[in-house]
Amino acid sequence: MSLHSAAQWLTDTNLSTALREDPYPYPVLGTIHVLSIALFGGMVAMGNLRVLGYAMRDVPVSQVIDQFRPWKWTGFAILAASGVVLTLSEPIDCYKSVFFWISLVLLALVGLNAWLFHSGIYRRVSEWDTSAIAPPSARRWAWLSLVLWIALVFAGRLIAFG
Amino acid sequence: MIAEIAQAANDSLSLNPINRWVWVFPVVESIHICGFALLVGTIAVLDLRLSDLCLTRQSINRLAEVLAPWIYLGIAIQFVTGPYLFSASPHDYVHNPSFRMKMMFLAAALIFHFTVVRGTAGKTEPLAPVWRRLVAVVSMGLWIGVILGGLGIGFWAVND
Repeated sequence: MSLHSAAQWLTDTNLSTALREDPYPYPVLGTIHVLSIALFGGMVAMGNLRVLGYAMRDVPVSQVIDQFRPWKWTGFAILAASGVVLTLSEPIDCYKSVFFWISLVLLALVGLNAWLFHSGIYRRVSEWDTSAIAPPSARRWAWLSLVLWIALVFAGRLIAFG
Repeated sequence: MIAEIAQAANDSLSLNPINRWVWVFPVVESIHICGFALLVGTIAVLDLRLSDLCLTRQSINRLAEVLAPWIYLGIAIQFVTGPYLFSASPHDYVHNPSFRMKMMFLAAALIFHFTVVRGTAGKTEPLAPVWRRLVAVVSMGLWIGVILGGLGIGFWAVND
């Protein structure tokens, strides 16, 4: 079964039809999705801005990142789950939208970026924890994270556009 | 009077870049969502701190100070992109019940933020946790109202 016919099959299921045609699922899912963007986005923004030295300079980097972590994961889990259900409501349209595939690639890059940051420069955070501005290598990851997230919001929004 | 302004704006609508090129609206709306994430995200950080749910090692009034410029930047982005999106079809927006609901929640959320939330966060002697939590819950509730209203705008327009 090709991906296209799988998407078509999903579109024709009762679940997908109900998600698409009932009045309540979309506004409820949309609200959850957007609220988790704010929760997660706010944490990501503040964490990165701290590394870049634009916010909370008097707080150690590890305190900001570690204290945000549980909320970041909560936000991400809700964001991903509501995103999956939103995709289920329009599988064939998502399949045909180039922005849907761009979103998935960006999401993978965001994950890769976070993993590389945490397994690399962040392991030696104790060396620069209290500096107002992190070393250039850490700042590069922070910029990349901000750019990827903004690009992901654009791609996500544009799925509905074409 | 609002209806007359909307009517005058309606007459020049076809000249508005947002209506001349199909990609302008979604691009501006994407900026609006990024601004929203910054604005409500930073407010959520403050509300979570007021509830003792994150950054508990930082003092509340210091955190409020540090977050303030980012909240202002978020408001600035929203007050540029929002009215520009509105300019695409002012007449439709003023008659859209979901848009009206969004504006009412927005006014309430902003007023509540700059009076009660800031007042609570700015205290050198923090209030009892129960009051701080109540303030945070009301604040988030009002912002959820803004989101619901915003999402409902397109939904209402399609089903009207």
